[in-house]
Amino acid sequence: MPLKRHAIQWPWRGLLVVILLGLAASLWYATQRIHYEWRWERVPQYFAYRAEVSQDAPVAGRVSAVTPDGGVSRIAIAPESGGPLVTVTVEQARVKAGDAVAANAAVGVNFEWRVGPLTQGLWVTIWISFVSGFVGLAIGLITGLCRISKNPTLRGLAIMYIELIRGTPLLVQIFIFYFFIGTVLNLDRIVAGVGALALFVGAYTAEIIRAGIQSIAKGQTEAARSLGMSATQTMIYIVLPQAFKRVLPPLAGQFISLIKDSSLVSVIAITDLTKSGREIITSSFATFEIWFTVALLYLLVTAVLSQLLFWLERRFARSD
Amino acid sequence: MIEVKNLIKTFEGRGQVVRAVDDVSTQVAKGEVVVIIGPSGSGKSTFLRCLNGLEEFNDGQVIIDGIDLTESKTNLNAVRREVGMVFQHFNLFPHKTVLENVTLAQRVVRQRKPAEANERAMKLLTKVGIAEKANEYPSRLSGGQQQRVAIARALAMDPKVMLFDEPTSALDPEMVGEVLDVMKQLAREGMTMAVVTHEMGFAREVADRVMFMDAGRLLEDAPPAQFFTAPREPRAQAFLKQVL
Repeated sequence: MPLKRHAIQWPWRGLLVVILLGLAASLWYATQRIHYEWRWERVPQYFAYRAEVSQDAPVAGRVSAVTPDGGVSRIAIAPESGGPLVTVTVEQARVKAGDAVAANAAVGVNFEWRVGPLTQGLWVTIWISFVSGFVGLAIGLITGLCRISKNPTLRGLAIMYIELIRGTPLLVQIFIFYFFIGTVLNLDRIVAGVGALALFVGAYTAEIIRAGIQSIAKGQTEAARSLGMSATQTMIYIVLPQAFKRVLPPLAGQFISLIKDSSLVSVIAITDLTKSGREIITSSFATFEIWFTVALLYLLVTAVLSQLLFWLERRFARSD
Repeated sequence: MIEVKNLIKTFEGRGQVVRAVDDVSTQVAKGEVVVIIGPSGSGKSTFLRCLNGLEEFNDGQVIIDGIDLTESKTNLNAVRREVGMVFQHFNLFPHKTVLENVTLAQRVVRQRKPAEANERAMKLLTKVGIAEKANEYPSRLSGGQQQRVAIARALAMDPKVMLFDEPTSALDPEMVGEVLDVMKQLAREGMTMAVVTHEMGFAREVADRVMFMDAGRLLEDAPPAQFFTAPREPRAQAFLKQVL
């Protein structure tokens, strides 16, 4: 008998499908029990909607004719002051032939695509996460290097910063940053929010980078120094590239966390994805649908980032 | 070329002070090949690492080509670029190709142009017989090939002295020869070399002098013919009886 037997896979895959279907069914049953009425059709308008823009009459006068022409209507107006007919093109006419119109009175409407609050909130979440992630990475790199520095001042400051941030809740940090530091320095709420997130992610990144640097074998540094490279050159050309490659998976986890943690800035009235969702619910009453949609959007962003970093990881693996 | 006076290096650990290098004085002339042998833990690697300042020693002097390492004005990096070193575990840079391993320090330390650095690198890689692997990553190479790349990397800085720290100890037996051949060729070309090794054949054949160390002390310093046939020290006699 061969040592490694090929187990039959399909019953297990079948069981997986059954479990997933069961979960979906219980979800459906649960909403039935509380008599929740699903209104998914209300959700798309919060991504993008067609806004009405009214079209005014350029002159006062009388409408002489309204001619449909494809998707639009042409309104011909005979000016009170005489002269040639003035034609206005609109998507939907609000006047009939024979109506009197005043100057700058609406004669019809055009439709325009507008970005909805969900899309706006998503965009705010993405750029806030990106900026604070970028700044946080820089802070983390500098702090990580200070943390392993031989200078007691730098080391002490780095340790204090890391412990302070890691030992307090992010929500409290955001409040302190906004209400205390933000008031003292007269900061905009966006700056305060991004700053708090960057400081938060910087402390965690610093520890990841420190661990990465310390995981590089001492022989690498010795080889570089024996070739006459300075400590800085050794760090830039030899240690950091290898450390960065090694810490990419934990860094990826940290940045995915950051995207989710950024939802906390909604408490200082930054209209990110979470706050947009809350605002929409007050007008649409589609509580379940909106929260599910918001969750899905976060999932989408984190999944894209996850794939991006995975791709980067594979690229770095070329030298293995 | 190398002058060592009363070198002392101690390690502290668990309340004990170990004198890894204990009052060693010696000189190595230009073009001379010195082989340092001795039992494990005798301080021979530590001694070698003191010669380019990788190990900070406690007392004494190391003078390389007229420059005193202990002098506060001395730029250690400037001294190190004149002293090549080859390690037991190769220590190639795994994230760089073979060619980049050999060109990196040329560019950032010697400030050579990429074309010039590449040309010098290819010449050296050809010399150590590994030019066809220039664009591979070190992980694709065998131990012997990696060590030859490491030698090329050190030579690319045009050093005045080469230090070898047990260059063949981590190699499969069948790859020892290819590395020793490169070292022998270097010795023939007049390179000043200090070699820590357990390869007695190499010591006998290539060395101008053999230094025997035990417990941090330099016990015997003699030409190989004399050392291998009639060692003076009882400790050296016992050691040779074990290894030969």
